[in-house]
Amino acid sequence: MTTTSPGNQLTTLLDNQALTRLERLRLQPNRRKTNRTQGEHASGKGGSSTEFADYRNYVPGDDVRFVDWNIFARLNRPFMKLYQYEEVMHVAILVDASNSMNFENKFERARQLAAALGVTALMGIERVSAYVVGASGEPPRVMPPSSGRVSMRRLFDFFERAECGGDAPIDSAVEAMLRRHRGKGLAIIISDFLTPTSLARPFNLLYSAGLEIFALQVLGPTEIDPELTGDLRLVDSENGGTVDVSSIDELHGIYHEHREQLQEHVRRQSRIRNGRFLSISSETPLELVLFDLLQRQGWLK
Amino acid sequence: MTWTGFLSPSWAWLFLLIIPLLVVYFLKLKRPRFEIPSLVLWHSVINDQRVNSPFQRFKKHLLLWLQLAILLSLILAAMQPFLRGEPGSSDNRPILIDCSASMAAVDTRGGPTRMERAKERIAELIEATLPGRISLIAVGAGARQLTEFTNNKRILTKALDTLTVRDVPGNLVDGLRMAQALARRETISTVTLVSDGNFPDLQDTAGGQKIARVDVELPFELQFEKLETATVNMGITAFNARRQTAAGAADSLTPWDVFVRVSGSPTEVTSGEVLLEQDGQEVGRQPIALEAGQSKRLVYSLQTPGISRLAARIVSDGFDGLSTDNTAYLELPVSRSLLVWCDTDLQSYRHALQVFPDVTVYPDSDASGQPDVFDLAITETTQKANPNLEASVRLVVGEIPEDLAELVTIRTGSSPVVDWNRGSLLLQHVNLDSIEIADEPVRGDDVLDQHFREAGYEILATGRSGPLVLARHTPGRQAFYLLFHTDRSTLPYRVGFPVLIKNAIDITRHAAGLAEVGGQPTRVLAPRMLDRNTTYTVSGPGSSPQTFRTGPDGMLSGIPAPHVGIYRISENGSEVARVGAGILDAGESSLASADLIEPRDEELRVGASTTQIDTDRPLWPTLAWIAFVVLLVEWWYFQKKTVRVSG
Repeated sequence: MTTTSPGNQLTTLLDNQALTRLERLRLQPNRRKTNRTQGEHASGKGGSSTEFADYRNYVPGDDVRFVDWNIFARLNRPFMKLYQYEEVMHVAILVDASNSMNFENKFERARQLAAALGVTALMGIERVSAYVVGASGEPPRVMPPSSGRVSMRRLFDFFERAECGGDAPIDSAVEAMLRRHRGKGLAIIISDFLTPTSLARPFNLLYSAGLEIFALQVLGPTEIDPELTGDLRLVDSENGGTVDVSSIDELHGIYHEHREQLQEHVRRQSRIRNGRFLSISSETPLELVLFDLLQRQGWLK
Repeated sequence: MTWTGFLSPSWAWLFLLIIPLLVVYFLKLKRPRFEIPSLVLWHSVINDQRVNSPFQRFKKHLLLWLQLAILLSLILAAMQPFLRGEPGSSDNRPILIDCSASMAAVDTRGGPTRMERAKERIAELIEATLPGRISLIAVGAGARQLTEFTNNKRILTKALDTLTVRDVPGNLVDGLRMAQALARRETISTVTLVSDGNFPDLQDTAGGQKIARVDVELPFELQFEKLETATVNMGITAFNARRQTAAGAADSLTPWDVFVRVSGSPTEVTSGEVLLEQDGQEVGRQPIALEAGQSKRLVYSLQTPGISRLAARIVSDGFDGLSTDNTAYLELPVSRSLLVWCDTDLQSYRHALQVFPDVTVYPDSDASGQPDVFDLAITETTQKANPNLEASVRLVVGEIPEDLAELVTIRTGSSPVVDWNRGSLLLQHVNLDSIEIADEPVRGDDVLDQHFREAGYEILATGRSGPLVLARHTPGRQAFYLLFHTDRSTLPYRVGFPVLIKNAIDITRHAAGLAEVGGQPTRVLAPRMLDRNTTYTVSGPGSSPQTFRTGPDGMLSGIPAPHVGIYRISENGSEVARVGAGILDAGESSLASADLIEPRDEELRVGASTTQIDTDRPLWPTLAWIAFVVLLVEWWYFQKKTVRVSG
């Protein structure tokens, strides 16, 4: 997929063909977490949508417009037709813009995925807000809740202008987002999740805020399979810390064990909160992620 | 006994260098910086690694291990470890080195000589024996002590480097006697002999082995390290000439029969050609093919106008192990009459001399000029009584040598001949039975034959009371003493008298080289009559010029000739004589080698060891090489790109 912006492209992040395909996809949360404002998501409560839900006995005071007159004619008793109540779902997209994402096309791929998932949310008449968190202590860049197709341009502009830099860990980024976010729905977290602390607390915060967690991990090829040899001094891109490693090629096995443990930790923290988790490589083609991996994982439909 | 040891264990303190090496390595380890997104995972990895194996960080430091390997190798090399081969490495050990002619042989085409192989082996022995003291003894025609007992490796190596083969037959007995003499003043338990086993007079044993018997008692253990031999060789073992008997003194050209004996390999068939050169010109060429162990005599006939220098050379068809025995030299003298001085009172002798056509007797009747030097002098007095009379062979009649005056006296009486040496050149075919002698030599009281031998005299005939005929051989001179006067005996009237004169003439002719001459072998040049009291310079092959001085008799003798080739005798830069010397030894040319050495006590028979004996084997060269190789590996490893930078 090209990410350049020729004159006929709507955005530099996604090409038009992908956008066309994305317009037909919808986010598939595990649980309905909606808001009282009317939307496209049917609530458990009766509503005024056109989607029939059930019948109930008529009680005085009911709106006679919802009496099923055909049944009244047959049974001579009034029954009220109940309809699905469709409520709006908030989709909060959080993109980790710390320095660790500025490697091997990770941040670029994160922006593309955020834009793509935002498009599917906007096309599903959701309220979409976006957050890009880089440096800790600084307020995140925020796209206010927006909805509708008209907000697509706004969404693209937001992510096109997003820049990488800073040392904010993902937990503080979540806290920064929740300080501004209102509404239940879905939280899409796109990060490498390379954090020394446990994700239990930020995920708890998301869960208690009524947000279902979609955790999308983007790793570079070197992080997935570090083919390094010799004696090295590894330097942390975020805080400049160093670690001297000797015969690093002998440690690949241990590294893979710890990487898989990290991924299993994120997956477990997501799953116990009815969330989803997916780890991809920044080298994996975007079409493959959007139209194959995410659909097979049930993220999109 | 442990299997290894260290000659310089004090250098073990160098092991302390490991500490600074470790410190410097970890302090100065230069690591390439490599930025990664996050250290989160790597912190976990490092922590996990440290918890699992605290020492693994050392395990993977290949550069450190290579540096440690280099350091340890160098330290161990400095400590000079060795594999212990046998006890007593600190003992005094004479090493006898055979440097006879056969050690110049090569056993394979283009291969090293036996001497070169022997030197390599001796160098190993030196390394193994140090710091024990070693004395190197070269055994050629005689024994030469190259070094005193020393553990100075430089001295030993220098002496070994300068050792060369001498083209002479080996004399093992001399070497063993020298070691025997050294054993009297030094503690010697073992003597090592490094040789190819080519000793004189080898004998075959019943078991098919060859044995060298030496008449020496060995107060030490003899280790005979025999070099492996497998040589094909053909060499000249005899070179002589005889003047043809039909020749007369008046002929302008002297005809000679020249004989060249060529011996082949004892195990292989050999063939080639034998060239004869006369004064540098080829005068004969004969092909020769020899079966295994065979020798042939080739005959050449030629005529010479005067002095001729002959050289015989072998041109072998195939591989020839020893090249130095392929050449021999011979000098043919000028033909002339024998010059004989015979006292005028000895009429019986002068009468007997008249029958020889090529003999000129002095003093003659016309009293014309007479030569300064005679070939034979028959006198009634000793040389001291007539000092101006020079002769190579002297027959003194009725006179007792002055140095024997205390051993024997003459008294008047009857003295029958009791016994005589019938094999002596002077008395062969001379029958002395029933000869009446009026003079009776009487030996003094308690005088034994040994006393005459000690005085340099050989008893040729013995009477009832003492010796009758004596002989004395000195370099270039022969003297025969008839202690009784023949005029006062019946000898002139017996058939034996002209035979005696004939024998004296033959002895003289041989001494003058007029009848038969032999090739000059190496070792010592034959004495040569030159000007009196004159200094001559002798230059030969493979040696620097040496000066020798003739005595009052003009005899130049004792000139060593250790190498095959031409020796030039010059006076004040002008050459006065030229002599060629060849090996001319059948034993050396056969290259046969002894399997056993049997000293006087037969129970101490010494077997040859073709395999190297156990010796203290030094390990420091190996360790030094290991250090060098490891250094190269480290250099390669250091130069290798250590980081693959992704992206």
